[in-house]
Amino acid sequence: MTNETILLGAVAYDAKVVTIWEGIREYFLQQAAPMDFVLFSNYERQVELLLKGHIDIAWNTPLAHVRVQQQTENRSLALGMRDSDQDFHARVVVRSDASISGLKDLEGKTLAVGSRDSTQARILPLHFLRSEGVDLEKIDLLKFDTDVGKHGDTGTSELDVLAAVADGRAQAGVVGDLIWVNEQAAGHVDTNLIQSFWTTPPFDHCMFDALPDLDPAKVDRFKRALFGMKWDVPEHRRLLELEGLKVWMPPRESGYDSLRDALANPTP
Amino acid sequence: MRYENAALAIDGGDLPLGGGLLALIRPALDLLEPGGTLAVNSLNQALRDDLPRWCQLQHHEYLERQQTAQDYDRHMIARGALSLPQGQREHGIALPQHDGQISAADVLKSVPMPEHADPASGFAPRGARVEPGGPRYPFTLLDRDRVAPPEIAKLYDQAVAAQWNANTDIPWHKTPKLPPEIERAIGQVFTFLAENELSALYLPSKFVSRIHPAYAETAMFLSTQMADEARHMDVFLKRARAGGGGLGVSSATTSQSLLSLLELEDFTEAAFLLSVLGEGTFLDLLSFIEAHAPDEVTAEVVRRARGDEARHVHFGLVHVRHALAHDATLYTRLEAAVRKRAAMLANVGGAPAPLQDGLTVLAAGSIDTKAIARGHEAFRELLDTMHASRVKRLKHAGFTNEQAETLSDLHTPNFM
Repeated sequence: MTNETILLGAVAYDAKVVTIWEGIREYFLQQAAPMDFVLFSNYERQVELLLKGHIDIAWNTPLAHVRVQQQTENRSLALGMRDSDQDFHARVVVRSDASISGLKDLEGKTLAVGSRDSTQARILPLHFLRSEGVDLEKIDLLKFDTDVGKHGDTGTSELDVLAAVADGRAQAGVVGDLIWVNEQAAGHVDTNLIQSFWTTPPFDHCMFDALPDLDPAKVDRFKRALFGMKWDVPEHRRLLELEGLKVWMPPRESGYDSLRDALANPTP
Repeated sequence: MRYENAALAIDGGDLPLGGGLLALIRPALDLLEPGGTLAVNSLNQALRDDLPRWCQLQHHEYLERQQTAQDYDRHMIARGALSLPQGQREHGIALPQHDGQISAADVLKSVPMPEHADPASGFAPRGARVEPGGPRYPFTLLDRDRVAPPEIAKLYDQAVAAQWNANTDIPWHKTPKLPPEIERAIGQVFTFLAENELSALYLPSKFVSRIHPAYAETAMFLSTQMADEARHMDVFLKRARAGGGGLGVSSATTSQSLLSLLELEDFTEAAFLLSVLGEGTFLDLLSFIEAHAPDEVTAEVVRRARGDEARHVHFGLVHVRHALAHDATLYTRLEAAVRKRAAMLANVGGAPAPLQDGLTVLAAGSIDTKAIARGHEAFRELLDTMHASRVKRLKHAGFTNEQAETLSDLHTPNFM
C-alpha cells in the first residue's frame, strides 16, 4: 500500500458492512482512487483514531460528526452524505387506544425510546419534545439501550420501540422516520393499532468526515469516485442499495444545528 | 400553484401509508411518465409527513399539499425517473381463442421474439418491462436465429397435447408369457433403449439454462422432450421387467458413444447429433421393434415412443434448417462435429454386440436356426434402412447428396 491510498473508517454494525466496503473499495480502485477500509466496533473509537490521524476519512453518524467538529473547533472537512440522510425526522407514534390527543398528554404515560446514542430514536426526539414544552420528568421512559456504540445504526432499538407500542408495554414511542416509512411500506405495521402522532423538525444524518489537513489530492479523488456512482449502472446500484441510498449528495451543515443544541443541553 | 393537467388522481380515503395506500399509489405512478403528476386525495393526516418522506426515499418529487374540501388533502406527486422500467408497456393484446383454447403459437404471434436478447433482463418474461440495474445472467443463447425456429411454439403445443401416461396408457395386463430366450432378448433391447433415452434426457437439460428467457418456447419444448425421454425410460424398463426377462448388458460402445454426445457444448451441434442423426436413426429402430414385436404390449410401447421421437426429430430438423439459413459457416461446423465424434469412436466396431443379438433373436421370434438366419437378415436390412433414412433427412436439412452420404456413414454405430 502506498500513501496514495485513502484509509477509510466505518463501523461494523452489521455483517453487510464488509460486503459494502469491499465493493466500494473495488469500485474506488477502478476509478483510480485507491482506498482501503478499517472497521471499528463503535463510533467512539473511530472518532478517536480519526482525530489521531490514523485514518483519513470516517463514515460518521450525526453524533460522531458533531463530536469531530467540536474536537477540531469546526475545522474538520465534511465530504458527502447520502440523499436518504437529508431531512430526516423522528416520529412520535402512539397506540390508537392511548387517549393521546396532544403532546402534553404524553406526560404520565410510558414512552418507548431507542438507544441513548441514537440521534433519531432518543437524543433529538426528546430534545424536540422538551422544546415543545413537554415535561420529560413526568414521562415514564421505556429505554431500549441496545447496540450502544453503534449510534442507532442497527435500527434494533427502533424495532424494539415499535414492538413495545404494539404489544402495549408503552402507550407511545419514538422512532426515526426512515424506519417508520420503510416498516409501513413493507407491510409490517398494524396501522389500526399504531399511528404516527407527531413529527419532529428535520435534521440530517450520516456524513463522511476528514481532518482539515488531509491531502487535498486525496479529498479530490475521494469526491470524484464517490459522486461518480450512478444508480442506473448495475455494479454501482448493488452497492448503493446495500448502503441505502440512490444518490450521494454534497455536505450541508444546517441539518446538525438541533443536534448541537441537544448535546449542549442533555435530556434523560 | 395548480396542477390542472395532473395525469391521474386517486382517492386514498383515510388509508394510512402502511395500511394499503401504497397499493393504489405505486401502480398509479407506474402509469405515468417521469415528471407526470399524480394527485392523491386523502383524509389521513399522517400522510402529510409520511408521503413526502416516502417520495424522497423513492425519488419521486413531492410537489405540494393542497387543501380541498373540508378535511381533504390533495397531495401532488411528480413521478421520478430513477429505476424507470425499460421497454414498452403491453397494451391492446387480447389473445385470440380458437374453440375456447389459447395456444402457445397464438401467444408467440401476439408477442414475437426479439432478434437479440439482453442477459441483464434475467428471468423477466418476454413483454415485461424491466427495471434497470439488474444483474447480468449467464445466458449464452441470445440470438433468435440460433435458438428458436419459427415453428417452435406449434411444436410445443403438439408436444403438450400428445403427452401420455406410462402407467395407464399401456395394456400391461396383456403382458404374455414368452419363452425365456425371447424375454431375455426383449430385456436386452429395452435396456439399450432406456440407456439411450436417459442420455437424450440429460443432453437438452444442459442447454435449457443457457437459453435466454426471451426464447422461452424453446426451453418449454425441450422440457416436453425431457418429459418424453423420462417417460420412455420408465416404460422401457417396465417392459424389460414385466415378463421376467430382466435387464441386459450396458455395452462399452454405447457408453463411449453417449459420452461423446453428452460432452457437446454447442446447442445446434447437439440438436443435430442428438435429434436429427440419433433420434432420427431411432425412428427406424423403433419401427423395426414394433414390426417384430412378439406381443401387443411391446408393440404399443415402441409405437407410442416413436410418435414422441418423430416430434423431436422434427424439432432437430427445423432448428438446424433455420440455423443453416442464417449462418453460412454452420455446414462446416456440423460436419466437423460429426467427424470429431467419429474420430473419438474410431476403435468401436459395429452396433453393440448385446443389442445385435437381442434384435436378431427378436426378429427371429425363436432360436430355431432358420429363424435366426431370417432375424440376422432383418437386422442387416435395418442397418441399410437406417442409412437411407439418414441420408434423406440430411438432404431435407439442407445438405447435398454427397455430404449426406458421408455424414451418414460417419454416424455412430451405436445409432445414438
